[in-house]
Amino acid sequence: MTLATDRWPAFAERSAGGRPGSGVLVVWRLELAKLRGQFRVRAIAAGCLVVPFLAVVGLNLQNSTPGDTPFGQWVHASGFAIPMVILGFGAQWLLPVLAAVVAGDIFSSEDHFGTWKTILTRSRSRGQLFAGKFLAAATFAASAVLLLTVTDLAAGLLAGTQPVVGLSGQLVPAGHAAGLVVASWASELPPVLGFTSVAVMLSVVSRNSVVGIGGPALIALVLQIVTLISLPAWGQMALLRTPFMAWHGFWVHPAFYGPFLAGLVTCAGWFVICAGVAWLVFRRRTIGAA
Amino acid sequence: MKGLSRRRAPLAVLTLFPLLSLISGCGSTGISAGPLQASISRTFGNLYVLQQAEQGNPRPSAGSLRTRASCQKGTPGTPQNGSGNWLCEITYLVAGPGYPVIAKYKVDVQTDGCYAADGDGPASVNGSPTITGPHYEQIINPLSLIDGCFEIT
Repeated sequence: MTLATDRWPAFAERSAGGRPGSGVLVVWRLELAKLRGQFRVRAIAAGCLVVPFLAVVGLNLQNSTPGDTPFGQWVHASGFAIPMVILGFGAQWLLPVLAAVVAGDIFSSEDHFGTWKTILTRSRSRGQLFAGKFLAAATFAASAVLLLTVTDLAAGLLAGTQPVVGLSGQLVPAGHAAGLVVASWASELPPVLGFTSVAVMLSVVSRNSVVGIGGPALIALVLQIVTLISLPAWGQMALLRTPFMAWHGFWVHPAFYGPFLAGLVTCAGWFVICAGVAWLVFRRRTIGAA
Repeated sequence: MKGLSRRRAPLAVLTLFPLLSLISGCGSTGISAGPLQASISRTFGNLYVLQQAEQGNPRPSAGSLRTRASCQKGTPGTPQNGSGNWLCEITYLVAGPGYPVIAKYKVDVQTDGCYAADGDGPASVNGSPTITGPHYEQIINPLSLIDGCFEIT
């Protein structure tokens, strides 16, 4: 059976509840309910809750410090260094993969299980389905980052609230440091949403969850290699990896926000392009003809 | 369509790198001696004050140290810009203008303008990763390994 790719009958639009947005919300809620039932989503949520505290325990059990990352040598001197070390390592790998683990699967799993025909015969348009699924993937990624922000800060506060040495040698007092920890983690949201968009695009285009989840991880790796090349500053800024590092400027006195603001533009660009490609491919797909 | 994209993907990655090396010639990396020197000299000054305070010595003011840095990448023939290994000499005053002290650092500058500076002498200033506090306890020597960042423009 082949379903038509053009406009759906008018009754389907009406039954969505009047406003087009409400149909999106219905899909969004349904997708979130599906996500809540997934083992890996629960495992990641549990990991986000537990790992920062395990990191604190692990760091306290050993005398050596992870000296090759900013704040690494201060992990025993101040609890505020710990969330920043986790962020320093996590930004390279953890966050792109975290963004992709749901987004890279949310479209292609319907291919895997052959369920497109089923859900497209429900009274939701393709646009509503696309927006709802996209929103659900973004909700997951943003929630994971916010959860990590809270647990990381809590783990850091538990380890000690001594002033921490900033990235221009200044001592940052506890109150300000807590604010900077939250701001630094929050600054990861735009690139995480950018990677979510990349993963959605790969998931839609490839119809394969391995590509959808592995692709962004591979892109993160390639970008890491590319950043070793001395690119001009504007080329560096255009990479989706650079905004993950923008928080460094927050910890300098006086702070600089140029990389963060440039990163917002970069992330918006990647987000819009990838989401656009994903939508164009998804809209024109012929579903049912394998 | 799937087979085609599978063949195209490695090709895209392969063409990426010549393209990037082409781009790398267009415009400044934003990493040069000027901003690095300004950043590392101020960071060193702050950390020197911290080091003295943690050892229980009288706390000097960061301004009175008059820290200056002079950084060089590779040999003098090397283009003096971009990420990689730099050498910095930081001159500061602890006993009046007549007695400048020079501390040396091997500086690994990342492409985003953050650097890790490893102390390279004199040993009494930045040679040891730990120093002895006022109560004979071992504490981290803030001058042994310096992390800092400057804005690339």
